Amino acid sequence: MGLLSNLPVLLVLLAVIALVIYSGIRIGPRFLIKRLAGLVFVLFGVTFITFILGYVTPGSPVQNLCGAKCTPSQLKLLYHIYHLDLPWYEQYATFLNGLVHFDLGFSFTQRGRTVWSILGTGVPISAQIGLSALVFALLIGVPIGIFAAVRAGTKFDTASMTVALVLFSIPTFVSIPIYQIITVQLSQHGLPHLPISGWGDSPIEIVAPVAILTIVELGFYARLMRTTMLDVLNQDYVRTARAKGLSRRLVVFRHAFRNALVPLVTAIGPAIAFVVTGAFFTELFFNIPGIGFQSVASIGNKDMPVVQGTVIIVAVAVAVMNLVVDMVYGILDPRIKVS
Amino acid sequence: MDTIEQPSIVGASSPEQIEVYDAKEQPSISPMRAAVRRFLRDRRAVVCLGIILFLVIFSFLFPLLYVHMGPKVLDGISGKLIPPELYHQFSYSNLAASDKPGTLFPLGPNSLTYPLGGDPIGRDMLARLMAGINVSIEVALFVEVFDIGLGVLFGTLAGWYGGWLGTVLDRFTDIVFAFPGLLLIILMGAALGPIFDNIFKSINPILGRIVMLTLAIGLLAWPLMMRFVRGQTLNLKEQQFVEASRVSGTPDGKAITQHIIPNLLNIVVVASTLSILGSIVGEAALSVLGVGIRPPGSSLGLMISDSLESIYGQWTELFWPAFVLVVLIVCFSFVGDGVRDAFDPRTKD
Repeated sequence: MGLLSNLPVLLVLLAVIALVIYSGIRIGPRFLIKRLAGLVFVLFGVTFITFILGYVTPGSPVQNLCGAKCTPSQLKLLYHIYHLDLPWYEQYATFLNGLVHFDLGFSFTQRGRTVWSILGTGVPISAQIGLSALVFALLIGVPIGIFAAVRAGTKFDTASMTVALVLFSIPTFVSIPIYQIITVQLSQHGLPHLPISGWGDSPIEIVAPVAILTIVELGFYARLMRTTMLDVLNQDYVRTARAKGLSRRLVVFRHAFRNALVPLVTAIGPAIAFVVTGAFFTELFFNIPGIGFQSVASIGNKDMPVVQGTVIIVAVAVAVMNLVVDMVYGILDPRIKVS
Repeated sequence: MDTIEQPSIVGASSPEQIEVYDAKEQPSISPMRAAVRRFLRDRRAVVCLGIILFLVIFSFLFPLLYVHMGPKVLDGISGKLIPPELYHQFSYSNLAASDKPGTLFPLGPNSLTYPLGGDPIGRDMLARLMAGINVSIEVALFVEVFDIGLGVLFGTLAGWYGGWLGTVLDRFTDIVFAFPGLLLIILMGAALGPIFDNIFKSINPILGRIVMLTLAIGLLAWPLMMRFVRGQTLNLKEQQFVEASRVSGTPDGKAITQHIIPNLLNIVVVASTLSILGSIVGEAALSVLGVGIRPPGSSLGLMISDSLESIYGQWTELFWPAFVLVVLIVCFSFVGDGVRDAFDPRTKD
């Protein structure tokens, strides 16, 4: 664990930073400023919607923080500390003021913890699981998709795409309980089995959540890859390449694959961005203290600062990944101009 | 000498004109009917559509009959004989049976009164399943109405007029797409659930939740529909028949309703089949998390979440709702696949 386990996260972060710098050099700051303005608007929108929804949610967020022997004056003090006694527009203004200073405030329910520290512990865990699953899904799903497209219409194609659709359709809140029931049965009969749930005790605990997420994503990428690959394989230039005598393999991997990557990149970009929110059900059912678990628990506790924090990092991640995707388009297909 | 009866068209003897004449004899197929025909050729999709229709009709009609089927049995608590009108209600719970969770016959050892067994608090699994399917379908249909209504309205307006409306809708869509979808739905469930509960309390205890789920899921779904419709509208606007009608002075409203909207059929059908899937999963997901349908209501998601309370309990408790949900979802996926192949003009054979 430690640094080594965060290696994939660090690598992705470094790659993203490198691409943003590269994009700044390549197309100049005007474009970046335009995107930044878009991001500011989106941030304003999502935080406002989140704030309003949190504001109208019934229940007092700091009641639990105050404890069982809470006196009205103590409660009043807590309301004052967290600015909850202000009218709604002042509350939101206070929040925005903090946001401009990169200060997301304190959690309502976890005593003395800043939102940043909660995000700081949650995001790496979610990213570790999410990125591993994404990598495995791509490694398995993309070749299956290519293979099915090359052999379109055969039994392999029909069978693998049917399985892919079924795998992709089954929600994790169905597959995880089934996995857990099977595991319970295995353990009751003394057979070897993976842990039912948990995090941080042994490295083997990551296997089941990653496997389940991989299965879901695998179906999606296999199908996406097949569709786009089939589109590309029917293009004239592929036929030309075949006609001039290039081998099938060369045509598929040099000519077709590269062009089929564009829709794939479009899908992977936001997928990486949403990795930071974590997979809600996977984290919930496996008891993994990632950001998905934290944010769902925070909604239940009306711990709005933490929810806001999650929403903000997702919005930023989506904006950054969209930028990265635009850059990658340019690399994959030099004809595409970013505007 | 035999004379061949010639059609009364002047010069019909030239081969091309005979061809034209013959072609007129065949009834032309409307694009809609051609698409339906293509869809019917996809056997997998047709079978799946059949399964869905069966499940929906069964779960809608059978409860009417089901509540009158079965003998009178002893109630666990009061010790009185109760009719099936009571114990075949999905919300009836025989608490006295709670000491033998998941038992097949919670109402008496010699009765097959609960065909799929009971849950730990003695409710009929079959009745709950049927009520759960109903809720799934109701939410999906309401979301569809919301989705198609707003999506087509704003999509055509933005595509036709562009301008500030297009910009506003673009920005709004950016916001929705930058939200982690499930998180927003959960938030809306937590925030709006109790409010809608209060509003609709007097009519029906579940109605408020269904309205809330529709709003929450629909709000996330319609921007995508709007994008599709808008793209198609922009496309159609450039086509000659629309230009011709504009030049000849057709008012905008008439042009939109008569030329644009009928041509949106394909894209709306494809997009809405996909969003049905999203709403069924969304409803189940919210109910699993406890912010969707709540007891005494029933939903497939709620049943799954109930079964997780005791992981050592009966496996049938998880199996039935999970099985039905997966069947619904997988079938809708296959139907969606078939519909896309049949209605998407790009993949026309």
